[in-house]
Amino acid sequence: MSGIRDSRGRAGHDLLVRALATCGREEFTGGLRVSGRPGGTFHLRRGLVVAVESPGAPGPEALLLRSGRIGGEQWADLVRESGGTRWPLDGLIAHGYAGAAQLRIVCVLALHDAAFAVVAGDVDDCELAPDERPFAPVALGEPSVRLLQDAARKAAAIAALPYPVRPDRERPRPPAQVLDEAGLGLLQRELLGQVDGRRTARDLAFRTGRAVYTVTAEVARMLAEGLLECADTPVPIAVRLPPDAPVVRRREPEPAAPQFTAPTALPRRNPGASGITETLVPEKSGAGWKGFFRMRNGTPK
Amino acid sequence: MDHKALTLEMRTLREQVTGITDTALTAADGLLIAADTADTIDPEALAALAAAGLGLARRTAAATDRGTLRQTVTYGSHGCAATYAVGDTALMVVLGDEGMDVDRLHLAARPTLDRIESILTEKASEGV
Repeated sequence: MSGIRDSRGRAGHDLLVRALATCGREEFTGGLRVSGRPGGTFHLRRGLVVAVESPGAPGPEALLLRSGRIGGEQWADLVRESGGTRWPLDGLIAHGYAGAAQLRIVCVLALHDAAFAVVAGDVDDCELAPDERPFAPVALGEPSVRLLQDAARKAAAIAALPYPVRPDRERPRPPAQVLDEAGLGLLQRELLGQVDGRRTARDLAFRTGRAVYTVTAEVARMLAEGLLECADTPVPIAVRLPPDAPVVRRREPEPAAPQFTAPTALPRRNPGASGITETLVPEKSGAGWKGFFRMRNGTPK
Repeated sequence: MDHKALTLEMRTLREQVTGITDTALTAADGLLIAADTADTIDPEALAALAAAGLGLARRTAAATDRGTLRQTVTYGSHGCAATYAVGDTALMVVLGDEGMDVDRLHLAARPTLDRIESILTEKASEGV
């Protein structure tokens, strides 16, 4: 970790350690919001960490959905059944998607992985949020010191690899030469199918439904072994319009609607103005209704 | 129009907000202007869909007296798509995975949209 962490990064990390230690001492219950990149929220119960959520690591829901253990529609059904909860624990067990022990493990893994993502990233500030509640807490909380030590150890292990990468920085792509995939492991083949020069290890973790630490470590190994490459320059973005083409105009205030003025007096009706009376008046020739009755009653004698 | 500045804004937004996977800039009629998208996404189709969606949302907001439309967000089990108006005749669509913090995206997107609008109106305001 120390190899890729600058002094600003160390200061942020120290800030997080102090904030969590204070929460532990004071047996705080609630959330500790960590701003930064990716940042996240540590959820504590009586000073112990029961959940960590971060945009930098897949949560329990993403791990289940992306790994294909449950489909999106089934998940939506379970959420409806459970009255809209974000973590339909009872429904998952009752419908046989996962066992209670498996779900406990998923939550613990997600907690540790999110803590790693926060520690491996940049920490700008920490702020208490007493009303924050986790949606998938673990039953037995972790002391924050042990949790952060574990996260820092993982970050240091990756930093010590021959090609160290950070979860949200490098955007690897397949190597120029065609690889023989026969000798590759399942995760390596999966990652080779997903890398495109745009996705970071963190993005790949979400796409494959795996822990960000696992994917970051594997990406670092694959880069070192030449199974992946990192481009020096990002893929250029093509702009389709010529440089002198006007594209947008600024929003102009809408012109005022024409003022409606109510008439001071009711309109006067002129009899016969519509012409309907002329239409209904019998023809003067006598060949109208009289002729009709003559035809019905026979010819007059 | 400064192409380099435009693409830099799109790329910077993706770097700035964790979880953004793709961005595209399109005219209100669905004509694609620029796309920073993965190969798995058809940018022309995305541009057309985003333009149609934003037009519908704008009319819905007007018809229901909801004021000026800010953005639309479509949520799926694997992430979301946010569409923002850029001036009157362009829009930007941002795709993110399920880890993206949507509130953070909205905060980060506003200044980016203002700068993109300035870039796109540069030539028009010069009288072209």
